[in-house]
Amino acid sequence: MADIIFLLLIFFMVTTIFKMEEGLPISLPRAETGSELEREKLMNIWADRFNRVSINDKLVSVELIDAVVSKRFEENRGLIVAFNVDRRTKYDLVSRIMDQLKEANAVNVTFVSVGEKE
Amino acid sequence: MIKKRSKISAEFNTASMSDINFLLLIFFLVSTMFAVEKGLPMALPGQQSKSVKLKRDNVLTIQAFANGSIVIRGTGPVGVQDLRQIIENKLIANPKLVVVIETHPDAEYSVMIDILDELRLANAERISLRTMKSS
Repeated sequence: MADIIFLLLIFFMVTTIFKMEEGLPISLPRAETGSELEREKLMNIWADRFNRVSINDKLVSVELIDAVVSKRFEENRGLIVAFNVDRRTKYDLVSRIMDQLKEANAVNVTFVSVGEKE
Repeated sequence: MIKKRSKISAEFNTASMSDINFLLLIFFLVSTMFAVEKGLPMALPGQQSKSVKLKRDNVLTIQAFANGSIVIRGTGPVGVQDLRQIIENKLIANPKLVVVIETHPDAEYSVMIDILDELRLANAERISLRTMKSS
C-alpha cells in the first residue's frame, strides 16, 4: 500500500513541476467570470511583459503570427486562440496580436485568466 | 549452551508510513489543481466582417488609460469596483447597448481584463475592443 501511494506521490510531484515549463513564464491576470477551457480546441499564444511572443514553444515575431496561425487553421478551422498574456504587458502588443489574428481570420479567442484563489 | 537473544528489535514501525505518504499525496494533488486557468471568450471581427453603424445612444465607451485610470466617455472617471453597477443600470435603461472598451496602447493588459470581467459580471453581451489612437 505504501509503495503504491509513494509512486502516485512521485507522479504528482513530477507533473506539478512539468506544468510550469510550458510557454513563457508569465503571471496571468485575475478574473472572476472565466469559463472552462476546452483544452483540445485551444491554440496557445504566449506573450510576456518584455514583448516576447511564443507559439508552440517557439519565439515568433508579431508580424509572423498571421502566417503561423493561418497554417494551423488550415488543419482545423474550429480552433480557439488562447491569449496567455502577462498582466503587466502593454496593451499595444495584445492589440497587434489581435490585428494579426484578424488577418488570419481567427475570430474566436479567449483570454486566459486565473480565478480568485491561486 | 544458552543462546543469548537480544530482546530489543532493530526494526521501526512502518505502519504510519502510508499515512504520511497519503497526506503528501493529497497535498500535491490539491496544489496541482489550485491554479485553475479559465478563459474569457471573445469573438473578434474577421476579415470579411463589415463594420456596422451604430446609433450614438447605443454605444457606451469605456476608456482605459496608460496610468490605469478608467473613464466612461461622457460621464467621467470611475473605479473598477463601481463599473459593474453602472453597466447594469445602463443595460436596464437600454438593453441594446454596445460597450466598447477603448484601451490605450501603453495601458497594462490587466486593466482591460478587469473591465472585461466587470462587464461579464454585469451580463453585458455586446462588447467590442478598440485600441486608442495614441496622440
